[in-house]
Amino acid sequence: MDNIKIDASTIREKVKTYINQAVHVDKEKIRNDSLIFKEGFIDSMGFILLVTFLEEEFGIKTSDADLLEENFESINAISDFVGRKTEQ
Amino acid sequence: MAQKKPFSKDIIKLDNVETVVNEIVLKLKKDVLEKLRLNGAVVGISGGIDSSVCLALSAMAFGPEKVQGIMMPERDSNPESEKLALKLAGKFGVRAIKEEITSALAGFECYTRRDEAVKRVFTEYDPNIYKMKIGIKQTGLFSSMPPIFSLTIVDPEGNQKEKILPAREYLQIVAASNFKQRTRMSMLYYHAESLHYAVIGTPNKHEQEQGFFVKYGDGGADVMPIGNLYKTQVYQLAEYLGVPQEIIERTPTTDTYSAEQTQEEFFYQLPFDLMDRYWYGFENGYSPKEVADVMGETEERVAALFRGFERKRRTTEYLRMHPIRDYYGV
Repeated sequence: MDNIKIDASTIREKVKTYINQAVHVDKEKIRNDSLIFKEGFIDSMGFILLVTFLEEEFGIKTSDADLLEENFESINAISDFVGRKTEQ
Repeated sequence: MAQKKPFSKDIIKLDNVETVVNEIVLKLKKDVLEKLRLNGAVVGISGGIDSSVCLALSAMAFGPEKVQGIMMPERDSNPESEKLALKLAGKFGVRAIKEEITSALAGFECYTRRDEAVKRVFTEYDPNIYKMKIGIKQTGLFSSMPPIFSLTIVDPEGNQKEKILPAREYLQIVAASNFKQRTRMSMLYYHAESLHYAVIGTPNKHEQEQGFFVKYGDGGADVMPIGNLYKTQVYQLAEYLGVPQEIIERTPTTDTYSAEQTQEEFFYQLPFDLMDRYWYGFENGYSPKEVADVMGETEERVAALFRGFERKRRTTEYLRMHPIRDYYGV
């Protein structure tokens, strides 16, 4: 799938919706800047599923160099990462 | 309450291996003969350190004539494993038999289900040409990010290609490969039941607590004599018990995928001696600072490592659970 130009707020909304349905905790607890790994919302399987979701939903390809905490640590970070990838 | 010992690099080392061995052997004998009311032990032997120590302990507990060693190679097994397992059985005077499980696995379509998923990631993959393995991407054991898995295929010249594994393919490859451990468990129980023996489980403490085992596979057993021992301690026992040196010196592998792969590469991401010390610090309530100072690390990195350990323990809890049955009449 080719990268699709998509605006930042739509990306954030989609990422947020996905995270909210993927975690097994009270959705109210997750803010856009919550640290999803440090606060234990997303575990290893959750992370694998998240990367797969981002690749399928936004048509991006995650490389080894992308696997950094700052790209995935929160809904905001993920949305910014997807934004940068879809612009490439 | 006893004073906690200051954290040190040698904190896990057993001071008196002989006493520990005698204690384990005595309890193993009592558990199997008196609690389980069974007459001996069946041990799956892979030529690895853990199963070797379990076989040696069983031979001491029940006498070699009441122990049955079983080698269960399959298409992807390293032939070296069988050679070492035979040497081990000979050393301890235990009968060893071989049960080839390739055809059973083919019956489950273990290989075709696995290869179908591999092919979706690498269209050029042909199991007759390429070997394959799953590994952990180094997202940083000392960061808060969980690991992510990669798939590697290796051509006959040794050239490797690697890709991050999508969730669906990861799950399918793991689920298909788990037929191997579950088939071995079935075979062990066949022999155990036909001899009225117990199945000796071989996982060590890390495998148990970090969830590096297959539920109802290698996690399926009657007793686990080394289930509470760190790998460093397992090696100490191996030396004391006289496990053949080639087994002691062999790098622990998964022996699950067709390409060679170490346990460190697949799961632990740290050499066992370091993993042992960090895990000990974590589970015994040492602060990241106490551990970091001794290990020459930063407090922040050790704190992240401990968070990872906590996550691993939490996310693998279901593997250690018995089926939940308190639905009615509690």
